[in-house]
Amino acid sequence: MRKLASVEGLGDFRRRVLAEKDVVYDRPTLVVCAGTGGQASGANDVIRIIKRYVLNRSMQEKVALRITGCQGFCEMDPFILVEPGRHLYPKLTMEDVPRVIEAAVGGYVDEGLIYKEPRTEKHYHDQLDIPFFKKQTRTILGYNQNLDPIRILNYIELGGYAAAEKVLSNPDPEWIIREVQKAGIRGRGGAGFPTGKKWELARASGNGRGQKYVVCNADEGDPGAYMDRSLLEGNPHAIIEGMLIAGIAIGATEGIVYVRSEYPLAIKHTLIALRQAHDAGLLGKNILGTGVDFDIEIVRGAGAFVCGEETALIRSIEGFIGEPRQRPPYPIEKGLWGRPTCINNVETLANIHVIIDHGAEAYAKVGVPGNTGTKIFSLVGKIKNTGLVEVPLGMKLSEVVYDIGGGPVGNAKIKAVQTGGPSGGCIPAKMFDISIDYESLAKVGSMMGSGGMIVVDDNTCMVDFAKYFMSFLKDESCGKCFTCRKGTQRMHEILDDICKGKATFEDLDLLEELAHVVKDTTMCGLGQTASNPVLSTLRYFREEYERHIRDKRCDAFVCKELVGAPCQSACPLGTEAWRYVAHISRGEYDEAYTVIRDANPFPSVCGRVCHHPCEERCRAGTSGGDAIAIRSLKRFITDRVDPSLYKPQRVAWTDGEPPQIAVIGAGPAGITTAHYLSLRGYKVTIFEVEPEPGGMLYCAIPTYRLPHEIIRSEINALLDENITLKCNTALGRDITVDGLFEDGYKAVLLALGAHKSKPLSLENEDADGVYPSIEFLKALNMRGEHLARGRVGVIGGGNSAIDAARMALRQKNVDSVTILYRRTREEMPAFAEEIEAADQEGIKIETLVTPTKVIAKDGHLSGLECVRNELGDVDSSGRRRPVPINGTERVIELDTLVVAIGEDSGIDAIGPARLSRIETTRWNTVKADRTTLLTNRPGVFAAGDVVTGPNTVVEAIAAGKRAAVMIDRFVRNEEMVQPVEPYLPKVYIEPVRMDTEDAQPADRVETPRAPAEWRTRNFSEVEVSLSVDEATHEACRCLRCDLEFTKPKEAETETEAKAVATGGK
Amino acid sequence: MVTLYINGLKVSVEKGTTLLEAAQFLGFPIPTLCHMEGLSPYGACRLCVVEIGEGPRAKLVSSCTYPVEEGLKVRTASSRVIRARKMVLELLLASCPQSKIIQDLAAAHDIRKQRFRQEYEDCILCGLCVRMCEEQMMAKAIGFRGRGQNRSLGTPFDMNSDVCRQCGGCMYVCPACSLRCTYTEPEKAICGGCANLSPPCLEKEEFDDMMCYMQPCVACEIKKN
Repeated sequence: MRKLASVEGLGDFRRRVLAEKDVVYDRPTLVVCAGTGGQASGANDVIRIIKRYVLNRSMQEKVALRITGCQGFCEMDPFILVEPGRHLYPKLTMEDVPRVIEAAVGGYVDEGLIYKEPRTEKHYHDQLDIPFFKKQTRTILGYNQNLDPIRILNYIELGGYAAAEKVLSNPDPEWIIREVQKAGIRGRGGAGFPTGKKWELARASGNGRGQKYVVCNADEGDPGAYMDRSLLEGNPHAIIEGMLIAGIAIGATEGIVYVRSEYPLAIKHTLIALRQAHDAGLLGKNILGTGVDFDIEIVRGAGAFVCGEETALIRSIEGFIGEPRQRPPYPIEKGLWGRPTCINNVETLANIHVIIDHGAEAYAKVGVPGNTGTKIFSLVGKIKNTGLVEVPLGMKLSEVVYDIGGGPVGNAKIKAVQTGGPSGGCIPAKMFDISIDYESLAKVGSMMGSGGMIVVDDNTCMVDFAKYFMSFLKDESCGKCFTCRKGTQRMHEILDDICKGKATFEDLDLLEELAHVVKDTTMCGLGQTASNPVLSTLRYFREEYERHIRDKRCDAFVCKELVGAPCQSACPLGTEAWRYVAHISRGEYDEAYTVIRDANPFPSVCGRVCHHPCEERCRAGTSGGDAIAIRSLKRFITDRVDPSLYKPQRVAWTDGEPPQIAVIGAGPAGITTAHYLSLRGYKVTIFEVEPEPGGMLYCAIPTYRLPHEIIRSEINALLDENITLKCNTALGRDITVDGLFEDGYKAVLLALGAHKSKPLSLENEDADGVYPSIEFLKALNMRGEHLARGRVGVIGGGNSAIDAARMALRQKNVDSVTILYRRTREEMPAFAEEIEAADQEGIKIETLVTPTKVIAKDGHLSGLECVRNELGDVDSSGRRRPVPINGTERVIELDTLVVAIGEDSGIDAIGPARLSRIETTRWNTVKADRTTLLTNRPGVFAAGDVVTGPNTVVEAIAAGKRAAVMIDRFVRNEEMVQPVEPYLPKVYIEPVRMDTEDAQPADRVETPRAPAEWRTRNFSEVEVSLSVDEATHEACRCLRCDLEFTKPKEAETETEAKAVATGGK
Repeated sequence: MVTLYINGLKVSVEKGTTLLEAAQFLGFPIPTLCHMEGLSPYGACRLCVVEIGEGPRAKLVSSCTYPVEEGLKVRTASSRVIRARKMVLELLLASCPQSKIIQDLAAAHDIRKQRFRQEYEDCILCGLCVRMCEEQMMAKAIGFRGRGQNRSLGTPFDMNSDVCRQCGGCMYVCPACSLRCTYTEPEKAICGGCANLSPPCLEKEEFDDMMCYMQPCVACEIKKN
């Protein structure tokens, strides 16, 4: 390119380029993102194929190709964007490329390849309609998409160097600084110091004599942040222009781009751009004949995180170890080589040409006062759309995470966002409605930082997360300040102890104390913010730390030393699932039964209705495949093995007359407690209000899931000579807590369950034909009454709603069943398999509706008025809140309505709590200590649904088991709270040897089910047991997480022995 | 001249003086480890932190590197300073329990136990020796290498340095090892060992009223290992 000799020359040149563009670019253009991320995903292959295909078919005149830097939508790399229609074809394979080219040339859209929203499968033809792009304001990143970074012409035709032109035609530093100040831009490097102010100080510094420097800080070291790299790669001329303007403003004639060597593409593109700018006369001596001198050189950093700190960066450029020094003096006064130095972040400099070109007023209109302009964030982590997003400051965090980012991956729930990299802090999901600006982020204990946003979900352990950052920082601290070097090491050490379950609460206090001191006493920004990961996770997730220390639990199932085999630690009972699965694979069914029964007195019940948390956490499932069908395997064993084979260990009471214990409620919790107390020699009396024991198992669980004979036989096996069962006895009516103590009972367990459905609280709810779900199910299960008829509606989205719906469908006079739920199917709390089964049976599920009025005629239900909802903000549960749309009310005609929106214990309604002076909570449950299960009255314990509210069977059994231990400790006057140990696998079971043929990849076994048409006609059980082959096959799929803990030290193999013996000869 | 307030006292000192010098001039004690007259200030040990400024903008800075500013309010022993200083000493003690200087400082600051896992390092990377070698001996034989937890002190590539004259200046200024207790390896003793750290709990008579003030006793801990 010829050197431009004057400012007017640049303007003429641009006009000429634009005139040519109209001629040349009148054809579709294929835009390929070939930034570092794009190339890693295969953009180079795509480009090669495009070139070959186009050349082979001589299509050069019909289609153009533009290779750009990173465009931001990195999740979809490699992709082709076809202009002018902006059709986005994501995640292309090499075979797809010709189809895209043909579509582009033919002027149509290839529906098979075009971008589809993953969840809704909706096709988007225009890139700007895609949710990821729709809410963004891509002022800076937009250039990346529109230009080829190694062509200066591209930049110039897009209006590049227009700002330089403006400034050079009449160089007035004061005006530039005023404009930048008016624009209100703040440093994008993290601290947010006003750029105009910095320039003003830099201009004033040095008495107007001697050299000054402009430094572009491109030492971007945060894990997970890459916006600076993308800007240098995708639009280096914008940085050069920004530096030139900065140089004129502060009176510097030399600029330095400090970029890390790990960014080879950025360095390459910057070098090319510098040469082009030189050749064009835009850099160097006497720029465009105006007498202004400015030159830029590149300095490559060696990749130390701390060199992003300005004083360390200066040391590094000077050739010393990158160590920060005390400020003041600030680099503005005494920087590089002792001269005034103005250091700006890449993104700040990229904004300058926009401010000068479009005017400060226009720039300041974007964003909010005090936080103007846009900011680029690198959105990464556990989120659907990862990539670079550019949004106006002041946008809500939730909009970025849920609308642009597309929300969580899979079924996980987003827990927090870490902003500002390792020096920043995390913001919990419940605070996502804060606006993204420097002050709001600082207020919640985080910071803007350079713009990293790492999203974490509930599969991330926050202690482990903090540990990760601390591990990064202890390596990346420069090591000069003792407190930073040693402090980060010690914090890491304590965090590691916590993750391993070795820490105490004193250690936690020490960690916090140390974190504050490290923050206080270190010299530079790195050290002062090094504690942030610890302090912010402690601030919002202290409970997780405490769980690790007190309960030795890692709820995210990350910390290996606490998790052991996930199936075992996920089970509230600690059932060694891995162990019985291993026994099944070896054909040892009796042993398998013993393992199951050891932990669980209701194996057959749980084999059918357990919500199998073990499967949710199974590593075979969480690592990308399908979880082992553990529940079906349990059912397989209980169907095959005679329960009488198991002989529990009994201990006779030796110390005189055995104590008497009263258990109120014969549900799973109560019976479990009675059973385990009986094994220890206690005399237990169970009081049950219903005519038959079983509690919720019997009243509420549909018989098609759990036949009554299974419950009866399992309970009968547990009732022995130590246990007396008294049915038809109600607390408050027939017995009182005080009375029981007077009768000589040493302890009382309240295990009454939660039998009262919550009301809708709408008018006419008492109309005929409206039933609370528990009433509805009880009527059928206990008395065989069919209450449903005609068109049935069920309100709710939980398991009890599905149960009620499926039970209604099986009744005689029912025509249709519809479930009405206020959110979407994805948010339904019911188990996926239950929803699926309801679907199969022909139950209609209507989502996003809220009932507003029950319509009754002559006291009889005739319909339900509902309003349609849309999903709004995220609520505290991490789900999006349903918001009614006004004017969408309509009436659904119904003959029966079942209300299944949750249950509570109703303990106040029947009065015994008040009567026995037991404290209750505002959720109408009994208040009991979570560890000891003791209520406010000594000797009175509570367990199961009456404490937790409606919960699962296995949780109730676990609570019952714990109650037995606690009652035993109470009666024997032992310490109630004793240290806990994590459930770790202890027994070694040799894995089955497999031939390579057997070890083929295998899918999860399908639990056999009765056909849908058959099962809707009766109440018989739906699921069927596995066959021996199926079970063995399934059990062999197990990854055997236990072996890591139990496997004996590898015996010397033959080869090893030989090698040692012969000395390798 | 610059006028500032140290612990409420008004003082005028020459421009370019550090806070440490100004405070010492007034007689306020500030402990230091990496500071030495005649060597350039470095600010590595963070023991000399003082609190400057007021209200929410108050912060701790290392007094040895911070130049005096007009009207600055300095507190050399506020509760925040003491808390930080004690934690720094506790960290130092946990890393280099055998240094007499660190023990004495810890004792003077009433540190009776240390809660971190015991290490036995010889160096706190204060950099006195590096500066001594470079600035006083004009040799530049030793320097820092690596960063973060891998930072260490030595010659390039761990080879004997041609420019080292074996003057011993580095050892002379070392706060951590000049009186290193060599209980476990007496043959490597530089000074003959530190009596303070022989297990006093075992042989009380021999050492009279000398006390090991630490809990647990470092010497006993070493012996156990």
